[in-house]
Amino acid sequence: MASAEIYFEHDRWGRALAWSAGFHVGIMLALLVYATFVNRHTGEGWGAGGGGEAIGATLVSTVPLPANPAPAQNVLANESKGLTQSQPKIEEKAPDAIEIQGKNAKVKPKKKQETASTKQAQPEPEPEDNRVAFGEGGPVSGPYGTFSAAGAKGGFGFTGGGGDFGTRFQYYVRGVQQRISENWLKYEVDPRITNAQRVYVTFDIARDGHPSNVRVEQSSGVPSLDQSAQRAVQRVDSFGSLPSEYSGSKVSVEFWFDYKR
Amino acid sequence: MKYRLKWLFLIVGLSALLALGACKKKAAPPPPPPPPPPASPTASISVNPSSIQAGQSASLTWQTSNATDVSIDGIGAVQPNGSQSVSPTDSTTYHLTAKGAGGSQEATARLTVTQAPPPPPPPAPTVTDEDLFAQNIKDVYFDYDKSDVRGDQQSSIQADAQFLNQHPSMNFTIEGHCDERGSTDYNLALGDQRASAVKNALTAAGVNASRIKTISYGKEKPFCSESNEACWQQNRRGHFLYTK
Amino acid sequence: MKSTETTANSLQSAAYRNTILMYPKLLLSRMDEADRTSSRWCGSKPLVRALVFLCIYCLLSTVLLAQDWIKTGTGLGVEKVRMAVADFKPATADPQNTALLKTFNDTLWNDLDVSGVVELVSKSFYPLQVPGQPPEVNFMAWNAPPPNAAMLAFGNLGVTNGRLTVQGWLYDVKNTQSPQVLGKQYADTASDPAARLMAHKFADEIIARLGGGVEGIAETQIYFVSDRTGHKEIWAMDYDGSNQHQLTHLGSIALSPRISPDGSRIAFSGLTKNGWEIMMYSLELSRMVSFPHMGGTNLSPAWSADGTKLAFSSSRAGDPAIYVADNSGSGARRVTTGKGPDVSPVFNRKTDGQIAFVSGRTGLPQIYTMGVDGTNLLKLTDQGYAVSPNWSPNGQFLTFAWVRKYGPGDPGASDIYLMDIASKQWVQLTHDGGRNDFPSWSPDGRHIVFQSNRTGSLEIWSMLADGSKVQQLTFTGHNSQPNWSWK
Repeated sequence: MASAEIYFEHDRWGRALAWSAGFHVGIMLALLVYATFVNRHTGEGWGAGGGGEAIGATLVSTVPLPANPAPAQNVLANESKGLTQSQPKIEEKAPDAIEIQGKNAKVKPKKKQETASTKQAQPEPEPEDNRVAFGEGGPVSGPYGTFSAAGAKGGFGFTGGGGDFGTRFQYYVRGVQQRISENWLKYEVDPRITNAQRVYVTFDIARDGHPSNVRVEQSSGVPSLDQSAQRAVQRVDSFGSLPSEYSGSKVSVEFWFDYKR
Repeated sequence: MKYRLKWLFLIVGLSALLALGACKKKAAPPPPPPPPPPASPTASISVNPSSIQAGQSASLTWQTSNATDVSIDGIGAVQPNGSQSVSPTDSTTYHLTAKGAGGSQEATARLTVTQAPPPPPPPAPTVTDEDLFAQNIKDVYFDYDKSDVRGDQQSSIQADAQFLNQHPSMNFTIEGHCDERGSTDYNLALGDQRASAVKNALTAAGVNASRIKTISYGKEKPFCSESNEACWQQNRRGHFLYTK
Repeated sequence: MKSTETTANSLQSAAYRNTILMYPKLLLSRMDEADRTSSRWCGSKPLVRALVFLCIYCLLSTVLLAQDWIKTGTGLGVEKVRMAVADFKPATADPQNTALLKTFNDTLWNDLDVSGVVELVSKSFYPLQVPGQPPEVNFMAWNAPPPNAAMLAFGNLGVTNGRLTVQGWLYDVKNTQSPQVLGKQYADTASDPAARLMAHKFADEIIARLGGGVEGIAETQIYFVSDRTGHKEIWAMDYDGSNQHQLTHLGSIALSPRISPDGSRIAFSGLTKNGWEIMMYSLELSRMVSFPHMGGTNLSPAWSADGTKLAFSSSRAGDPAIYVADNSGSGARRVTTGKGPDVSPVFNRKTDGQIAFVSGRTGLPQIYTMGVDGTNLLKLTDQGYAVSPNWSPNGQFLTFAWVRKYGPGDPGASDIYLMDIASKQWVQLTHDGGRNDFPSWSPDGRHIVFQSNRTGSLEIWSMLADGSKVQQLTFTGHNSQPNWSWK
């Protein structure tokens, strides 16, 4: 566009060209400066473990156990073990951060937002605190793991046709969540990354529980993170056969991974 | 009528006797037979056993004949024949005196009393190979987690090798042992290494390898069971076992 | 301005768009020309609209119609399910019910309690009325405080004419629309072991459903060494310590039992008059079966996951080294070279291409890994006294016994550790003192059984793989070297 304007303004092209070129160079420089300085991450050493030394630390991969539940708020239902517990707990691994800022929403060009606002494919960001207190939350979002049942949160029409698998078989969804989280080896991700965008992986689960057709639907921009997410799903042999009350031949899953070191 | 006959015989018999007797009385009685010359008494005495230990008893036996008065010194008058159990504390000579019309006869028997029990006969003085082995072979002790022979054990090795070379017919087994700390499987392997180390040291000193077997017991057969360094050192060893 | 916005929005590059927005003056100064030229160059609004519709169409075309979708992700706090396990109710009036109910209820409770998948709500919070049949379930009594449960297991048990029948259900009490997750019925001759087995089966079904497809361990076995008869022999027991019974009757010393992957044979090391040999006991035939003698000291046999190979330590060539043979004992070949006692090999259960083992080649024993052919030797620990490695079923972790600070004179307290193979980071699992050794993974990868002398007597204990729920399993004599079955 810039060049067209130059040619159009025939009689003033000399001076305009100079201004235009100058400003364009300035913009380029500004971009370069922005890229090199503002976005650099301080590289953190990866635990100094490569050289053959064993280091004591909390594990980066997950022992396949779900976490202990958060303490109940109800005084009557408080089941704390009190002071008599003799086994010291190892420190719990920090759960994956729940980065639910706007940047984790699916990135769509702004134009589409304007013209197709009612049909956005954007899953709503989760509320900041995912942990629903016990006794609250109702059947859809139990304390053992929330998920976005498409109809409940609003989204694309396709999820409406997606049936009520999530509502009817929440325990199965939870199991899928748990198995994938256990198998996600975060140390496979490039150690220089501390934060990344959410990566979406989709796959199918056959009747016998075997995952297939694993693909990255939306990349995080970090190839090693995308790969580690894919591998997490591929490591699972079977999630358990699909519930017998479910009549479909398979279930499709969209699973997102939030990475934070 | 028989009754009267019996009385008749009786009267006749008695009167006959009287008559005879009377007759006899009148006649000089025949001279009494001359007394035979009195026989000499015999005496014999014996004691059985002839030697006893203090506190034991022996049997004294005697026989006499033609004796009317038999006595034994120390006992007194005794029957002409008899036996008696005696248990003197000291050696005694039993003196028997038999007196009779024909004279007297004496006999003695000696009973020896030993004061101390006789010592048991000493065992056959031949020493077995196994004893020799046990007396002369020294076990080899190891440092913690080590299977190499340490400096101060070299002399034991050399002494053992020397002895074994002098007795080439002796075969044996070396057992490798470990102390109670540490893990079962690893200690069995370590014990195996210790036994091998001792075997190698001996073969280097000239002992024929075919005489030597090795086995490891790890910490399965300890020599002591306290939990202190003294016991642990006792258990960390290569132990020799004679196998012929 | 409108055309300016059009210009801006049609640009795909966010950065470029941003910089343009950051320099409003520039834009303003160039507006006139830009407006006219861009309009002419890019074409009219209809073209832009077409682009928009094209994009919507593309998005819509990714819809897979007639397909159920689940959308979920990490970071959503996967926690243990809160489950209530109601005592099963008697279904008949048979006098045998009482004892069998107690066995069933206790076994079911314990199986779920130690599973590592669910958090059991204490019975003191339960409502007074417990259901025995689905129509009796009062959802609100269970999903609200005090129990606050997400899942409820309930059912009934009854004996009729010597036949025991158990009906069990697992209900999602927060989902009143369609609560049933499981409904099962079991029947067998009435006996205590049958009631116990039914409880194990039901617990396994529940755990498989709620644990995301991983099988439960309630029917698995543990093999171990016990000296309670006066000699160290190989014994077996259920995973929860019940049904302990003797297998071998050698009258000598039997050590380090390892069950084959198909559960048919146990390999172990036994003392003969000539030394230690690998021996084989057949569970199918209930007797010893022959296995060739190698000479030397042969220890710590280990099976490959496909059951075709055995690795073990042998000193038949002089120095204890790791050998691999096939499962009949033939074809033994040496895999490790170099000095130093090498013992306790174990195959990677996921790949069979790797072996972890213990070597004292640098002094105190340390853990190493290598390929099955002996290449790629890697040292995993670098201090202390590390022994008895065992691979996790998913191939990611090694558990082993470690005295991190070890030396002459040290009393030698050893603990069970967990190490992530790829990153070599480790976690200490036991802390309660004593000597802890010989850890062995359960087939679900969630539990570890080990030996410990923390009570003063050497016994077998189990725990979850994060070090919690430590439980003693044996109480008689001295018991050691446990090995968990493969399934």
